[in-house]
Amino acid sequence: MSGSDHLHVVTSDEIGEGLKRLGRFLVWGTAGLLALVALAQTAQALGWRDFGFTTWRPTLYAYCLWATALCWSQVIIRGEQGKRTLFVLPAALFVISLTVFPLLFGLTIAFSSWNLSSPTGRSFNGLANLRQMWTDPFYWNALGNMVWYVLAIIVEYAIAFGLALLLNAQIRARKFFRVAFLLPLMLSPVAVSWMIGKSMLEARFGPISRLARWLGVENPAFFETPWMAKATIMVLDAWTFIPFMMIMLLAGLQAIPKELTEAAKVDGARGWKAFWEVTFPLMLPVSVTAILIRIIFKLKLADIVINITSGGPGGATDTVTSFIFREYRERSNVGYGTMLAMVYLVLIVIFMTVLMKWAGRYTRPRT
Amino acid sequence: MKVEHYNALMARMSRRRMLQGATALGAMAAMPMTARIASAQDNLRAQILAIPGVGAGSPTDAHWQQVGELCLGATKANVAEGEFAGVELTFMGLNNQNLHNFLFRGFLKPWEAYTGAKINWIDLAQADYNSRLQQSIATGTVDFDIIEMGAPFEGDTAGRGLLDEMPDWVEAQIEADDLVGYLKPPVGTWNGKKYRITIDGDCHTFAYRKDYFGEGAIGGPEVPKTWQEVNAVSKALVGKTDPLTGLPAHGYLDPLKGWGGFGFYFICNRAAAYVKHPDDRAWLFDPDTMKPRVNNPGWVQAIQDVMDLIATPGAYPADQINADPGTTAFSQFLAGTGSMLMWWGDVGSSARTSDTSVVGDVVGFGINPGSTRRYNSAAGAWEETANEAPVMAYIGWGIYVTNRVSGDEKKRKAAWSAAAHLGGKDLSLWTAAYPSGFQPYRNSHFNYAEWEAAGYDRAYVEDYLGSNADSYNHPNAAIEPRIPGIFQYYSVAEDELAKGFAGQYKSAQETADAIAAAWEKITDQIGRDSQIALYKASLGM
Repeated sequence: MSGSDHLHVVTSDEIGEGLKRLGRFLVWGTAGLLALVALAQTAQALGWRDFGFTTWRPTLYAYCLWATALCWSQVIIRGEQGKRTLFVLPAALFVISLTVFPLLFGLTIAFSSWNLSSPTGRSFNGLANLRQMWTDPFYWNALGNMVWYVLAIIVEYAIAFGLALLLNAQIRARKFFRVAFLLPLMLSPVAVSWMIGKSMLEARFGPISRLARWLGVENPAFFETPWMAKATIMVLDAWTFIPFMMIMLLAGLQAIPKELTEAAKVDGARGWKAFWEVTFPLMLPVSVTAILIRIIFKLKLADIVINITSGGPGGATDTVTSFIFREYRERSNVGYGTMLAMVYLVLIVIFMTVLMKWAGRYTRPRT
Repeated sequence: MKVEHYNALMARMSRRRMLQGATALGAMAAMPMTARIASAQDNLRAQILAIPGVGAGSPTDAHWQQVGELCLGATKANVAEGEFAGVELTFMGLNNQNLHNFLFRGFLKPWEAYTGAKINWIDLAQADYNSRLQQSIATGTVDFDIIEMGAPFEGDTAGRGLLDEMPDWVEAQIEADDLVGYLKPPVGTWNGKKYRITIDGDCHTFAYRKDYFGEGAIGGPEVPKTWQEVNAVSKALVGKTDPLTGLPAHGYLDPLKGWGGFGFYFICNRAAAYVKHPDDRAWLFDPDTMKPRVNNPGWVQAIQDVMDLIATPGAYPADQINADPGTTAFSQFLAGTGSMLMWWGDVGSSARTSDTSVVGDVVGFGINPGSTRRYNSAAGAWEETANEAPVMAYIGWGIYVTNRVSGDEKKRKAAWSAAAHLGGKDLSLWTAAYPSGFQPYRNSHFNYAEWEAAGYDRAYVEDYLGSNADSYNHPNAAIEPRIPGIFQYYSVAEDELAKGFAGQYKSAQETADAIAAAWEKITDQIGRDSQIALYKASLGM
């Protein structure tokens, strides 16, 4: 750095070899300490030798020491450049600590047989959990159900778009309707499950069932047959989340420059043609974003299923998450449950990557 | 007493009855000194039954402390004043309905004052209890000295050596001989060692609608006594009209939807009549191999019975496939749908007090229906002999002491003394009679005269307690295995049953085979050898 650029120089970058050696010593010294402590704790955990550790905290402390030394050494070794690194390094280390380590820990559990009731505790079982998953009809059934649940988003999108168009138009009490349509989104899914799923839709006394009977339906039961139950769950979930898509689409509609729609009008585009040729293409980026976020929400669907049907009848409404919940909570099957969650995570990542790649084509501006 | 029971009794109690009770207590107080000394025990029981007085509103912490103080006699006989000074104990229990631990705090406050010990409390919601306990065990972080626990978890705790053996003086102090039959060993024991101070009893009893049965009634002249009759009546009622509501009549209400493992108890009611052989304590697994019995012909018959009713249009109310036990009891039976039900004691009393109940006084009680034949697992054949087997679903709560105190004799004695205070005979009368979350569990609780003297309606008390007593003391009571992970077995069985009931398996046999296969997997995962050893220990074999 030039000596005339005093404004940006805080310390001199002429770092002596001694200082550099100190920096390197700090990093490698603490790294060595971390490795030593971790090794000793692992040896104790594996029963090779007892070092008197009662918890894994010494390793954690050694890691913190190493992380601090790493940050400090950046400044010692690299001076000004190191300070710039210091703006990002602690955050990066923090993120790594909170994502990579738990992920590794999760993977270790996923490849283990770990039933909390087992007196022998956790034991590595290789690919056994994967093999069990491969032949588990409950998991595949839940995955199959997820396909249907995700497909329902197409209908949700159409309804949300329609509502957004309505609320974007010059209608009376527009502000009231905007708030009113948002209300379902503000409700807890658990409250929706009990108020609507378990009370209003109750086959004998529920007001909706009574209405259906009054309209001539002999035996209104909304969760009795597999497809009816699936459809009802879809409707309940849609009712909660359509407002979310609607509000995103409404924001998109309001961002469309007035000149464009007015120019289209001047050119003679009216009604459906104006929507299909002008509004819809302009809304594609927002639509794709809204749909992708909705898919992520949908893939986590569990609360209303757990509360209303427990996955029934006969697994017809089961979701992957509600099934994993049962494996964990009711069966304390931590190893297998974690493997199911990991596989689901990988499936979601692949599915979303492909989807985003595909959607990218439609979100690029047309030339 | 469970809160619902208490409310029921209060609703039934007339002012005259209350005055009778008050008069009786007044008379006792006015007895000559000699007579009072002679009947000190009776006097004490009458005295605690008067706190706060039957019909005088819900008891408060002050009342719990009063009862705790009055019942300190047994503690004083075994512990010197201030003997546990400096001892600190941690107690883990529930906070359901602001009872359980809340009561224990009040009961133990005078005990703390007398002994000098201090108790720290861990309060848990019912839903968090299982996971908290399992995680503590699995991660080796048991941080409590005394625990309120259900007997089904004994496999997870006693089976792993986490509990402290009950000293002999405790058994004498709590007068354990007074326990009803099924709560005596082997319940509460492992490998012949005793661990449990019982403070509650549980069982499923049969509730039926009196207006469905009798001369000229739509269900026939007699109340069904066997599951064969229950099914026959349920089918025969199709197309008839409920005498109370004017809506379609229905028979037995099977919950067809899972309930976090607890729904499995209900198919057990049907199956126990077929498979619980009087000569064999085991009925869910073979104790020598842990091979499930759930797919033997008796169990398959029980599942088939349910499938037969599913296949009979109109036998069940609409949407029964989504009815869990909460629905069958509170949304259906109490609301006037259906005529027969198996449940814990709550239902009969709620029938008379709940605002949503329309069945009122037309409810009657009995024990679990039996069967005209039974399956003998040992012989692998049906026997044309009548059989009865009430299911002791969940076996009730108990107080246990963990091995954290085993190395410190003073602390150990303190923990057991606190536990024994809560499981004392006299104190238990109060918990049986007032809202506490616990059901009667001692033979002395069925002394109807004591209840009557306190001001209760004898007819109702006899009706309410009678079916419990008959079930508790039944010689062929079906008691569930107290092995690790028992609720895992129940939970997975619920999933498979749901598939079977939804028609996804070809037959009852296929459904039962799927349950058996899933159970085998759980057993292998937890460890077959240890499960066999623990199962045998739990059966007292």
